[in-house]
Amino acid sequence: MNHPEDCLQCGNCVTVCPVEMAGGHAIVTFLADPDATGYSVWLCTSCWRCQESCPGEVDIHRLMMEQRRREQAPAGYRAAFESILACGLALEVAQEELDQVRAAWGLESVRLPPSGLVQTLLRGSGRPEGREK
Amino acid sequence: MRFAFYPGCLVLQRMPEYEAATRAVLRALGIELEIIQQAACCGSPVAESFTAEWVYLAVYNLALVERMGHGTVATVCGGCTNSLTRGACALQNADVRAEANRRLEPLGLSVTGQVEVKHLVRLLAEREDEVRARIVRPLSLRVALTNPCQVFRPGGVMKFDDPVEPQSLRRLVELTGAEVVEYGGEDECCGATLYLADPDLALAAGRRKLEATQEADFLLHGCGNCQLLLRRFQRLIVRDEPGLRRQSLLLPQLVGLAMGLPEEELGLREGTWR
Repeated sequence: MNHPEDCLQCGNCVTVCPVEMAGGHAIVTFLADPDATGYSVWLCTSCWRCQESCPGEVDIHRLMMEQRRREQAPAGYRAAFESILACGLALEVAQEELDQVRAAWGLESVRLPPSGLVQTLLRGSGRPEGREK
Repeated sequence: MRFAFYPGCLVLQRMPEYEAATRAVLRALGIELEIIQQAACCGSPVAESFTAEWVYLAVYNLALVERMGHGTVATVCGGCTNSLTRGACALQNADVRAEANRRLEPLGLSVTGQVEVKHLVRLLAEREDEVRARIVRPLSLRVALTNPCQVFRPGGVMKFDDPVEPQSLRRLVELTGAEVVEYGGEDECCGATLYLADPDLALAAGRRKLEATQEADFLLHGCGNCQLLLRRFQRLIVRDEPGLRRQSLLLPQLVGLAMGLPEEELGLREGTWR
């Protein structure tokens, strides 16, 4: 991953990152120090605080997502994406089970997405990109 | 008034109480929600991590809203709110719109990009006076809130409240009579999204919240992800430290209680929230 030209290496992003607060090392570790190791672009809570705190207006989210597409994904992400490809939702559910729950709660019934939907929408990526290095 | 409703997969499958409470509170304000049939994943962060084409998932859902004839879609999770809003922004570009319509055409759908995406916090904040007028049972609770990050950031896209220190959720909680306990972590993410990549680290992020909110009677959430990590997964954090245990409420449950709505309509068992 190329270190972004607009990054001032000020470290603001590190101080606001909940991953860093919890003891992990996210992309912000790399931004503050381009020579750093032991960080992962997959460790992110999607809170966007780093981006909001960046004086260089670096699009950290985009940088992170582009790097993810070049790397092997953790098992949890792979499973969720396989589910999206298979049934259109990150969490899989059976229509029958959904009908039962919603009826028990008095909620209007809902139909799940049609099969093959995701292949139509994501033409260029019927399979996960960058799954293998 | 009627809005389309996008519950997102987490609330659709795991949290019917969140949908029920949301519907009950909005109904009291004269708003009916019509759920989107055959809605798909919002696209982020999962699909976005694998393909730049994720945006067409968000766009598909917006096209369904347009076909329903609604100008606004209501959401209850931060993640879906953020993805769908970024999808709507992308549609302002004519090239993206044209490509989106090429992909939607075989599905018998089209999209113009006119739909507004509004999270429950925003829908209620825009009706603060109406909410205040409906409060009949002010609550004497001490509440520690977590702002649903992705509803407010990135500020240039979400265009609602202050992106760094948003105040709308706090003001809504205060309307109910509940006292907001300051703990310094109101704008720190709960860590739920991290669970997909590193469960232990996600629980460590959640633990920081449980440790910091000891003075509160309840945690208060406006996102299914916060509720998932801090309520459903709380036992994984607490283990043999019962002192860490915290009860939690969803925003519409708190507002609904203060409106005097029946507990069962809010997905609360009688008395369990007191």
